[in-house]
Amino acid sequence: MATETEHGEIEGFGQVSRTVGTVFRYLLIAATMFGIVTLAVLLVYVANDAIRPLTAGPGWYLTYFFTLVVPTLLVGAYVRTRDRAAFSFGVFLIGLLVVSLMFSGGVGLLVVDVVPPLVALSFALGLAVPAAVAVVLTRNSHRISFTTRLVATSLAFYLSLFGLPGPIGDAAGLPQVVPSFVQFVQSIPVIPVDWMMVAAVVGGGSAAAVGAYVAGVRDARSGLYAGLAAFAVSVASAVVGPFVGLNPVPAVVVTAVALVPTSTYAWRGAFGEDGTPIGLGFAATVVGGALVGAAAVEAFGFAGPQSWVDWQFLTSSHSGSAVDAGLYPAIGGSILLMSTVAALSFPLGVGAAVYLEEYAPDNALTRFVDVNISNLAGVPSVVYGLLGLGVFVTYLGQSAGTVLVGGATLALLILPIVIISSREAIRSVPSDLRQASYGMGATRWQTVRNVVLPEAFPGILTGTILALGRAIGETAPLIMIGAPNVVFSLPTALNSKVSAMPLQVYAWSSLFASEDFYTKAVPAGVVVLLAVLLAMNSVAIVLRNKFERTG
Amino acid sequence: MSQQNTNESNARADSSPDPTDDEMLIQTDVSGSVSSSGGPSRRETVVSAENINVWYGDDQALQDITMDIPEKSVTAMVGPSGCGKSTFLRCINRMNDLIDSARVEGDLYLRGKNVYDDDVDPVALRRRVGMVFQKPNPFPKSIYENVTYGLKIQDKGGDYDEIVEESLKRAALWDEVKDQLDESGLDLSGGQQQRLCIARAIAPDPEVLLMDEPASALDPVATSQIEDLIEELAQDYTVVIVTHNMQQAARISDQTAVFLTGGELVEFDDTQKIFENPESQRVEDYITGKFG
Repeated sequence: MATETEHGEIEGFGQVSRTVGTVFRYLLIAATMFGIVTLAVLLVYVANDAIRPLTAGPGWYLTYFFTLVVPTLLVGAYVRTRDRAAFSFGVFLIGLLVVSLMFSGGVGLLVVDVVPPLVALSFALGLAVPAAVAVVLTRNSHRISFTTRLVATSLAFYLSLFGLPGPIGDAAGLPQVVPSFVQFVQSIPVIPVDWMMVAAVVGGGSAAAVGAYVAGVRDARSGLYAGLAAFAVSVASAVVGPFVGLNPVPAVVVTAVALVPTSTYAWRGAFGEDGTPIGLGFAATVVGGALVGAAAVEAFGFAGPQSWVDWQFLTSSHSGSAVDAGLYPAIGGSILLMSTVAALSFPLGVGAAVYLEEYAPDNALTRFVDVNISNLAGVPSVVYGLLGLGVFVTYLGQSAGTVLVGGATLALLILPIVIISSREAIRSVPSDLRQASYGMGATRWQTVRNVVLPEAFPGILTGTILALGRAIGETAPLIMIGAPNVVFSLPTALNSKVSAMPLQVYAWSSLFASEDFYTKAVPAGVVVLLAVLLAMNSVAIVLRNKFERTG
Repeated sequence: MSQQNTNESNARADSSPDPTDDEMLIQTDVSGSVSSSGGPSRRETVVSAENINVWYGDDQALQDITMDIPEKSVTAMVGPSGCGKSTFLRCINRMNDLIDSARVEGDLYLRGKNVYDDDVDPVALRRRVGMVFQKPNPFPKSIYENVTYGLKIQDKGGDYDEIVEESLKRAALWDEVKDQLDESGLDLSGGQQQRLCIARAIAPDPEVLLMDEPASALDPVATSQIEDLIEELAQDYTVVIVTHNMQQAARISDQTAVFLTGGELVEFDDTQKIFENPESQRVEDYITGKFG
């Protein structure tokens, strides 16, 4: 510095005023935070009303502070300084456990109250058998022509699900000659116990998923063993369940849907290649702390918070008094509606997206469709409700307010969003890969199937789940199609009346508007709705992160 | 017109060229080189272009390209950026069909069959013509699946394990990846990825191998590996390579075609002749670096 001034060349550069830039920057921060903070305050307020943490005694807080909070902070800080990756693995593991427990609740609700186990088993077998036929045929695809395979596969599915002559014969008035495989299973004289059938369906599905995952990570033999072990654990849980206060059926569902997948992932993350056992230690500290805390609170008789979101709220139906009111039929209704919406909007939306991105010529019609899909995404949901009412109820003669009509209307509502996000995902597949595939002499279909769809699939799935998140919160279309505000039992078929969580909350806050419902049922309902929504979105976020890492 | 051209082309492919032919410049050059070196031009013609014109919308990318590419040799195409050499390469396997605005006129024969005839399925054509691109573009699948991709989509049978080993050996990649065939092709280095793409292209055993600047995205070591590989492949395949590296063309090619701005083929001859004693002043200027 001294030399510079001596030579008189550089006295300093002077100051450039940054006032405007600073003001602008803080304005931007304010704009960013405004919405988030407002919403957060509102949510804290609602959560406070619903869960009422202040009603818990100091003993309860102290117990959990020492069993859960202190160990979590200590172990968490230690693990985080030792190994960042292990820490995030541990956090992810806890999240996985929580989300999968919620999903097991949803599955349990379906197999216990909606679909009788025997029906579930018969359809699972009825679909598994022809699916196996299809897989075998595809494995030998180079020996059998496409037409033969198509005919054989369709025939297998038709026979298995409908028998001979099936619905075609019904239309012509022919009697059923050969019962379908589904009917056959339902008519077998020896009916196994409920939990065995649930174990076969849910445990079998989970074991297949675990087996496929392990086979992908290791090899086919390990996959087979892992699948068998997972199935054995699910079955065993039915026997062990009653000793820890769980009925066999819920025990099987929780084990198969939550515990088995979580422990598979934990095993891989902790002891697999590049495993981090201390991450598992962190997760174990948190879960163990929560369990020990619960046991201690029970033992000392400390009073917990008088939360409105409790087991009773989750498992009972609406009642005249706010204290007894519950959300169970609405939760089940929302789950069934979402399944219907997903089943309808996913194939339609992805199909449209693939056509528009990969096949459609660039002409006036395509551009017209393009513009209008974007417009449709912005049409108010009440208009879709009117459309659903007009088309499905008035014109097609469906009865109002059923699962099918509600699902179809919501599917129409999110279809443009699914199409737009799927197109985005398909467009993000590098054109290099398409060129490579076409250059190898692949047809358009082969390129789409082997290169484009596998690459775009996580993105498509993320977009679809986020769109479902929009559908699960919609109230207006359901009101328009005549969904009842209150139902007292779960819908058991596609044509039974259905209510949904937002509709039930709306009913509590308008029809049953009283001090009690405002302060108890409404906040509790909102918290449950948001919890389900966050669980769905967390799946989407995990998928997107995975997608971004590899893509 | 088209039929007549087929006959002419066959005739030219089989017998020595007629000096009074319309396309005298190129034909004379080729015959000249035959007399001087007796080199690869005596080989049978595999790809033969006649008056190929290509437009992208209203812009003409190639003007009246006529050339014969002999089999089992390396034919290099050089020229400045935007001169249409890649476009010509993509005419051979009709990849230009995938670009909506592209329009191709003229005839291009692969073993005497006009690939722009109405009865030619471009997909079937591409199964006989392998292609390697400028940027390594392996599929995000395992190395094994990358190599077998062409076999699978073409429903070809055979011992896949053997074909994978054979193709990777030919692409000089086997020793480096034989223990990690199940790992993703994207985990390889850039040079390895490009050799994997070459293995993928030759696995279904194509007749012609097109390479669009295959080494331009690679470092010098990987480039020299790819160059060695191309010279070896030319013993079994007809290799057509686009490059704007003049030294590369001089090192590895048997024939060189010089394209200059505006999409015209200025000179096509034996590589030695092009680099030592080109007919055209413009080619000499370009090669000696006076422009382009």
